[in-house]
Amino acid sequence: MSKGKSTPIGRLINHLEAIETGIKYLFIPRMTVMYPEEVMELPEGYRGMIKYNKEICISCGLCAQICPADAMKMYLEETSLAKGGEKQAKPKRYPGINYTRCIFCGFCVDICPTGAIEHVSIHDVAFDSFEAQIFKPKDFETGPPKVRYKKPPRRVKPRMDPKRGITYEPAD
Amino acid sequence: MMNLMSLFRWILDLLFSPWLFVPLIFPGLVTVFLVILFIIWFERKLAAKVQLRYGPLYVLKQLGGAIQLVADLLRYLFAEPIIPAETDKLAFVLGPILLFGASCFPTVAIPVSSSFYAIRSDISLLVALGLLAFGPAITLIIGWASNNKFSLIGGLREGYITMAYEIPLFISALSMAALYGTMDLIEMVESQVGWKWGLLLNPLAAITFLILALMSTSRFPFEIVEAESEIVMGPFTEYSGILYGLTMGASYVKFYVLCLLFSIMFLGGWKPVPSFLSWDPIGPALVLLLKSLILMVLGVFMRAVYPRYRIDQALKIGWHMILPLSIGSVFLSLGLILLGVVP
Repeated sequence: MSKGKSTPIGRLINHLEAIETGIKYLFIPRMTVMYPEEVMELPEGYRGMIKYNKEICISCGLCAQICPADAMKMYLEETSLAKGGEKQAKPKRYPGINYTRCIFCGFCVDICPTGAIEHVSIHDVAFDSFEAQIFKPKDFETGPPKVRYKKPPRRVKPRMDPKRGITYEPAD
Repeated sequence: MMNLMSLFRWILDLLFSPWLFVPLIFPGLVTVFLVILFIIWFERKLAAKVQLRYGPLYVLKQLGGAIQLVADLLRYLFAEPIIPAETDKLAFVLGPILLFGASCFPTVAIPVSSSFYAIRSDISLLVALGLLAFGPAITLIIGWASNNKFSLIGGLREGYITMAYEIPLFISALSMAALYGTMDLIEMVESQVGWKWGLLLNPLAAITFLILALMSTSRFPFEIVEAESEIVMGPFTEYSGILYGLTMGASYVKFYVLCLLFSIMFLGGWKPVPSFLSWDPIGPALVLLLKSLILMVLGVFMRAVYPRYRIDQALKIGWHMILPLSIGSVFLSLGLILLGVVP
């Protein structure tokens, strides 16, 4: 009728509608994922933490060049430094990652010509020191630490509901 | 043994004597604290539910985090109350205590039932409202004493908005006094016989009083004095520890007192008392508490619905809409008297 108008009656109706909307939302189920007890299944191609395969790395350094946050860095190979001098081939450089800087954009994964760098579906890792978040090539190769939960969590997966938007249901 | 029994009896009699029960238990200090603990938790739960999340949960999970506020209170108690070097120290420290006190004082004027009251006065409505009006002055003092730009702006906002709500609040309360022909809260409840509640007789006064109660205690949508996203915490920016806790609790206490007054003036006070709860003063007290708690829940629910008005919009609402409405409610009261609806 006078909906949306700025007459006193129209404004009163708008206020009542606002309160009605609030009351309506009181009865819609929550959409919280209770994180430590419930864990969301991550989709294919999720940009989580990064795994590195030294075997097929060709030390091209593209990952360090493309990194927008300056998290990737090329490190000199440690073994060749230790021996020192003895008619060594030119020491190779291998990438390491600094998770205090990484923004998980995935540019390094995309640009790697041999596929030596790839994402794994792990993102919820806590570190106990600043230094522990800087992965030298050796640590980088072993991959990100395993996630440990106190109790095995329930796995849930997101589902788009045409009426309610995003909802979560038990996976498998 | 006999001696112990008589001692116990004496303590019980002392506790249930009106001059101690009213300021100390209901509607005074103990109920005030319980109401604060409940309503702040419930406000957070309600807002969370409307936003499709849980709110406080992990402190006593079985009851949905019901004692979250006890944990918060303990944290406030053991946090260091920092007193900045540049403040007016006496006013800074006394401010929150006086503010909380000023919000609690009016409970002494509120009767629990027709025969149970701390003070009987023909102007107990004015006593309660007058004692409530101390608060804004203390908020202004706090805003000045804190020596902080946000505090000063918040204090000035309080000053502005006080002018906008205090006058219509008194007018709409006095229109009910005119309707019942008395300013005694007990006689007001006695005049609301049967279902002739003030809310149904003079809805105009009821709606203005409720809006002004929201406005005077900075509930949403009038949370202008402590607008967190604009001026940090308004007048209370510099506070920490238990002093901050007191300033936060004070507005809830004031809202609680206004809701008590609202239920007495408009919702029939402690009537009707169910027959199984006729023990004076517990039965009437529970009815009165229940009515005001429902009102408080309605008031804090606004947080989940509304954004915040600008200060000029709130002042415009106060002066241009609520003041004419409250004056209209006086004429409505006079009309009802002339028509002979009320004796």
